[in-house]
Amino acid sequence: MLLLAVPLLTGTGLIVVGRRFSRYAAAWVALTAAALTAGAAGVVAWQRPTVDAAWLPEVGVRLRLGVDGISIPLVLLTAVIGVLVTALATGYVPGGGSPGTYAGCLLLVEGGALATFVAGDALLFFVAFELVLVPMWVLITRFGDPHDARARADAGQRFVLYTGAGSTLMLAGILLLVTWAGTSDLSALVAAGAGLPVGRQLTVALLLTVGLAVKVPVWPLHTWLPSAHTAAPTGGSVLLAAILLKMGTYGLIRLPFSVVPEGFVRISPWLAIAGGLGILWGSLVCLVERDLKRLIAYSSVAHMGFVIIAMASNTEAGLQAALIGNLAHGVISALLFVVVGGLKERWGSVDLDRSWPALREVAPHRGFALILGLAAALGLPGLAGFWGEFLAVLAAWHPADPMRIVVFRTVAVLAAVGGVLAAGYCLRVARLLWAGDAPTETSAAADAKGGARLDAAAGAGLDSETAAPLDSEAGEGLDSETVAPLDVETRGAERFVAGVLALLIITLGVAPWLVLDITHPAVLALLGGLP
Amino acid sequence: MNPQVLIFTMVFAAIAGLLLKRWHAAARAVAVGTSGFTAIAAADAMARATDQQTLGWLVPGLDLGPVSLPLDLGTSRATAAVAFAVALVAAAVQVYSTWYLRDDDRYPTFAATVSLFTAAMLLLVHSHDLVLTLIGWEVMGWCSYLLIGHWSRKPSARRAAYKAFLVTRVADIGFVLGTVGLIAGAGTSSLEGVIAAWGGAPTCDPLGQCTGPDSVLRAILLTLLVVGVLGKSAQVPFQDWLPDAMEGPTPASALIHAATMVAAGTVVLAALFPVFAQAESARWVLGVSTAITMLLAALLALGQSDLKRLLAWSTVSQVAIMLSALASAPAADGPDAGLFHLWSHALFKSLLFLSLGLLGVVAGGTAASLLRGVGTRSRLGRWTFLIGLLSLAGVPFLVGGLSKEHVLAEVYAGAMNRGPGLFVLCSLLATVVVTAAYSTRAFLVIAQTANDEEPAADAASTDAQPNRTDAVRRQGRGPASAVLVTLALLTLIGGLVLVLDLFTLHEASWIWLAVTVVLISVGCGLAFALGRSGDPGVRCAGRHGHRFDTGFGADTAYRALARAVVALARGVAFLDTEVIDGFVRGSAVAARVSGGRLDRAHRAERPRNGAWLVVAGLLALLALGVFAWR
Repeated sequence: MLLLAVPLLTGTGLIVVGRRFSRYAAAWVALTAAALTAGAAGVVAWQRPTVDAAWLPEVGVRLRLGVDGISIPLVLLTAVIGVLVTALATGYVPGGGSPGTYAGCLLLVEGGALATFVAGDALLFFVAFELVLVPMWVLITRFGDPHDARARADAGQRFVLYTGAGSTLMLAGILLLVTWAGTSDLSALVAAGAGLPVGRQLTVALLLTVGLAVKVPVWPLHTWLPSAHTAAPTGGSVLLAAILLKMGTYGLIRLPFSVVPEGFVRISPWLAIAGGLGILWGSLVCLVERDLKRLIAYSSVAHMGFVIIAMASNTEAGLQAALIGNLAHGVISALLFVVVGGLKERWGSVDLDRSWPALREVAPHRGFALILGLAAALGLPGLAGFWGEFLAVLAAWHPADPMRIVVFRTVAVLAAVGGVLAAGYCLRVARLLWAGDAPTETSAAADAKGGARLDAAAGAGLDSETAAPLDSEAGEGLDSETVAPLDVETRGAERFVAGVLALLIITLGVAPWLVLDITHPAVLALLGGLP
Repeated sequence: MNPQVLIFTMVFAAIAGLLLKRWHAAARAVAVGTSGFTAIAAADAMARATDQQTLGWLVPGLDLGPVSLPLDLGTSRATAAVAFAVALVAAAVQVYSTWYLRDDDRYPTFAATVSLFTAAMLLLVHSHDLVLTLIGWEVMGWCSYLLIGHWSRKPSARRAAYKAFLVTRVADIGFVLGTVGLIAGAGTSSLEGVIAAWGGAPTCDPLGQCTGPDSVLRAILLTLLVVGVLGKSAQVPFQDWLPDAMEGPTPASALIHAATMVAAGTVVLAALFPVFAQAESARWVLGVSTAITMLLAALLALGQSDLKRLLAWSTVSQVAIMLSALASAPAADGPDAGLFHLWSHALFKSLLFLSLGLLGVVAGGTAASLLRGVGTRSRLGRWTFLIGLLSLAGVPFLVGGLSKEHVLAEVYAGAMNRGPGLFVLCSLLATVVVTAAYSTRAFLVIAQTANDEEPAADAASTDAQPNRTDAVRRQGRGPASAVLVTLALLTLIGGLVLVLDLFTLHEASWIWLAVTVVLISVGCGLAFALGRSGDPGVRCAGRHGHRFDTGFGADTAYRALARAVVALARGVAFLDTEVIDGFVRGSAVAARVSGGRLDRAHRAERPRNGAWLVVAGLLALLALGVFAWR
């Protein structure tokens, strides 16, 4: 209970009374609350307590909370990310409203996400799921990108309306399910849902899957994500990528996958195809996207495609892959958004068609974080991304349903091709932002021809450095507009946050069994429920 | 010594190197110390190598229901030998870099990357599990990206690194899918399990019920795997990334070419040989590609205007020779002829690169026109380079000659059977001639003194070592010279490794020995005849010199492909914002428009609207009544 009470109450408190708080006071109160929550999350993960209290006795809805192997990693992830985003707020709070409101919204989103992950009742799940919408909307529209108010408003509205529409479908699915099955307790629903006739299962599965797919997002329901990410402040982007998207996949596993298995099996080939197309689609867009924040958002679409494919294969390997891939994407995209968000705060934009000072030269720590994040995003073994992607392809090669083997193997091939495209866009970003010349006073004069000199190498030689990979199209947008500040090194809280995330990425990559061992019993129990 | 120790030492070295980024001296000590220790340990392991055995791994395996990933390591005589070659080259490279990159501000990062690279290769060599193999494979790709792009202030280095990673990664589609298919079919990723499940021919009873591996699927999967190997080993059609990779510092090139990444494909296919030998079509793919590659690359080497690129093409050609042994060896003989060639190639190619690095520093670049006559200024470089070239040309009883004899014997044995052996044999014999010719040319370039008839025009040197003063150059050169002498000695007497009986090989025949001697003499003679007045390569390439330097335009083809993908990407991005998002925006517009219409419809000042609403309501009631009544 403490787990939820601390962030929700502190968050509300900060919003209501925190207007007069200074930046430091608000951020430190929030950080303390988040740290307390993280402690509570640790205890919850260790002892696995449950709460069961009457809530709406008239309709038989009870306040059931509990965790199992599937939700524990996500609860821990959410708690850690909560600490990190509030820690970021101690260093920098975007303008647009009072710092108290900002910190409070961060905590509310965290609390809502935690409630989603521990909810043991379908209606409670829905309420918690919706709880995060409004604070997130505030974060985007009030505290977002200060350069473009219209884009901010558009992104915020689009986010709320689009995901709200998805939630409506999900609500319809949940209500139908609860009516037909006669209970809203998630653990009782597993038995009750499986007993429904196939037609009803299919209806429910379709409504739930489409509704949740908006949140994940699954291609082609993804277009709210790039604008939301671009407009959101750094903390908001991190929350959005690391936690909100996870609520979608968690919901898919918790509701259609486990409750109406037969219905889900029917639609899973379509889901897999959507996932495979999402991988290719997102990666291709990343190859030409100019705005780095949008690029990372599209790469999220691609990565969630792997998770979706793995889940749709309905196998043990697939479910494990989905769970670890989910987690890995959470930390990787969080790291990338911290790095890139910080850049955008200093540079004003991260347009890849302009030439920027090379991070490897001017900001080695930020550069290292960026290259680590990119390497993880392209699925390098030893880093977090690899296991989810490799196991997803493995699972898709060998799906549970042998009738659909052709579909799934095609999707596996698509996914493998997507891996190459991921390498293409990740290294494109690395080439444009990470590697490059050391800027010096005479940067206008020198050019690429004199590359033989290490020490004197300098300049804005754009020759082979523009957008298209392997191409040397001349870029017109030389850095004539403004001179980008060179001092973009991570400092204080930002460096701490990036360091923690980098450590998490390496840990997950080297020791995947830390997660897989926690999820294994729960996965077995889930699949035991399959016919 | 356990393979775990070797691997963890190098991983430790990589981490320590990154942490010690600020302190060059400490980083140097760590890099040299750990790599030296690993080399000694690997030598010890090689001396005491036993038959094949599987070892547990320090980490637990993963159990995923129907598929298990035990993540085991293992050793055998041949892997012990290969591991020694890897560790030796790595140690040589680390010692050499302390001199070569003495005043590089990012030396610690370089040394750490080399350590990680070595760890990945050792993991791959000792892997008894396809997932571990894949991990080593991909980590090497990444390290090669970092090493090639080490001088990332140079645009050409950035491009070369990008190209190398992308080209190999494209081929890795095949590698990943092949691995996944083999694992899924076997239900386990352990090497024994995969070989048991996929090796052997299907047995059919008289009723046509077949048990055993699905041979069509097996052929497909192994062909996919071979595609991955072709990519990493820079074989046709993926050959063009390797010469560009010469943008990296010379020690990095030595490492990549001699014992690690480029040779990794040989190790993987050798480990899977019992399965691979059964898949006839995969062997044909490999055989045809390597046969084309070895000759093409040797011809390209002959015409290069830059000696470092000459060595790069010679690597492509030599790796093709290794792989061709695997493609054509009879199933009963095993893969060891290829592995032996890998072993000897590791020695002489690292020697060649490191000698050339020395010569290049003396001459101020590695372009042939710059290097002309440099042998007179550096006697050490001249002699070590010569020994390396002799071995490369395959002069009998040097280590390169011995291994080439064994490959030849193996290919001949294969040519007597079915399979691509005959085709490979013809190409191999031609390659021996051309190899001897370009080796002679390389020596003539550094040995002949410059004569003025050739304009030493603006040589586009790939090696961007800054011109240093002689004093700086000589500073700390002792260890580097020691490395060169050691490698040269090993190249001379390395053939004695056969005494240890680590490789299972055919008897090499005296007839083939005689034939190769004749062929080598022909090659050398040709080169001498052409080279009496000036560089034989220039004479040979004539006006088409730039074609040789651009690899006969392979890069243009890659660019075209990349451009097509980018065009596709632009199309998709357009669809994304205009079509998919168009529906989203459209729904918003539709909502606003219909809202406006309804709003107008409800305005009280327009009585006609009210009348329509009443009519519509009545109709609705009527319909409801009809349906309810029924």
